[in-house]
Amino acid sequence: MFSSIRIALILVLLAGAGGAVLYVKKLQSDLETARANVAKMEVAVQTSENSLKLVQAETLKLAELNKNLSADLQKAEQYGDELRATLQKHNLTHLANKKPGLIEKRMQNATNKLWDDLESITDPNANNGMQSTETGTADSNSN
Amino acid sequence: MLTTGCSLLRPEPQIVTVTNTVKTTVPIVAHPKKVQLNDVKIYVVSKENYEEFVKEYEAKNGADAYIAISVKDYENLSLNFAELRRYIEQQKQIIVYYENAVKPEEESKETK
Repeated sequence: MFSSIRIALILVLLAGAGGAVLYVKKLQSDLETARANVAKMEVAVQTSENSLKLVQAETLKLAELNKNLSADLQKAEQYGDELRATLQKHNLTHLANKKPGLIEKRMQNATNKLWDDLESITDPNANNGMQSTETGTADSNSN
Repeated sequence: MLTTGCSLLRPEPQIVTVTNTVKTTVPIVAHPKKVQLNDVKIYVVSKENYEEFVKEYEAKNGADAYIAISVKDYENLSLNFAELRRYIEQQKQIIVYYENAVKPEEESKETK
């Protein structure tokens, strides 16, 4: 009777010890997986941070390009503004009546210059910056 | 054992991170060739030089038919050309903007 109880107790103890070993092994395995997960998470966080930096750099680049574009678009208005000012300043009809030869020469020069400018700004081999508009309407009777 | 037993059946989930960066590459096409414009001769005629103009014009062009334009219309023509010029310049700038925006980082730094 007693020996049966002893055997049963020993079996229970052995089963308990076996279970404990399995449990510890499972815990160790989970710990390994958790460590690997932490490492992967760190890599993921690093990747996210790099992506964020990339997006920030792109945003800065686009802001700079936008700023330059606005300035260049504004610069392109210069020729027309100068021409309007010149035409308002001079009475071409009066000048043409009084000095047709002089006005003809100036109009011809300004027209030739406009054709040259148009050829220049449409030239794909010219630099990307806009050509100078400084001399665009320097002639008082330009085209 | 009894309270943690269930964890034996549920293993620690594996985290799988996949980083896939896709950058669209837009090829930059060549610009069109530049415009080639023909010369235009302008005559300014008033009472002062009308006779002289008729003689000179006839001798040069062999006829006395011509297209006249008033000073005001000449001014309008000039302003119209100025508008076209502005449009071409601005359109070109916008194209350059997009080209720089899609250019790879290293290349766009070099062009700065």
